[in-house]
Amino acid sequence: MLLFRSEETVNQWCAAHNIPRRPLVNLQQLWQLAVHWYANRLTVESRRPAPDEMVLIFKSLDLTGPFWDPKSDQWR
Amino acid sequence: MPELDLDIQVKLAIYEITAETGSVPNSSQVSSKISIEEDEVLAAFRQLHAKRLLLPEPGDPHRIRMAPPFSGVPTRFPVEANCRLYYANCVWDAYGIAAALHCDAISRASDGHTGEPLTLEVKNGEPILKPYVAHFAVPAAHWWDDLIFT
Repeated sequence: MLLFRSEETVNQWCAAHNIPRRPLVNLQQLWQLAVHWYANRLTVESRRPAPDEMVLIFKSLDLTGPFWDPKSDQWR
Repeated sequence: MPELDLDIQVKLAIYEITAETGSVPNSSQVSSKISIEEDEVLAAFRQLHAKRLLLPEPGDPHRIRMAPPFSGVPTRFPVEANCRLYYANCVWDAYGIAAALHCDAISRASDGHTGEPLTLEVKNGEPILKPYVAHFAVPAAHWWDDLIFT
């Protein structure tokens, strides 16, 4: 997952590396993902979100569709 | 208080050492930290890998490549926090280090295509928002297929 100044440089990078353009996430969404994943990572009870929890987190951030479904087989 | 499972003790030791030093420890350092045999640490590394909480260095099970959000090797996402330098695995994890340590942080990162310096900053528990974007090249179902690429 890389950082880009703008959508324009994302498109240039995808073209240069022949990689399909995939979803973009803004910094507010990215921060919320980081908090959900890592806020308790240094504690005894920490664990990675389960697939169904991941879907709910993504949905709360308007990240929907099969790309964000950890159980999707559409991308195999 | 019941004694913690060994893999939890190892996980906590990994993160304590990393938070205190900026460097992700190897199995020997974890063994010394919590006074258990190194073979037991390696077994715990395997358990934590199975739980997707750790990625051993390919070809060297004694070393840790990723203890997300921390990287065991330098990356293009350095993070300055608590007067230490850490490395994140990706842009998500650059914010993740601030979230995990619950502190202000600055990541002097760069544009993935042009290399232009781009700074991410977290202050008082909130990101300093800019119009930058993160590109997720790999669908969620496949993030752990090749985590180093993801």
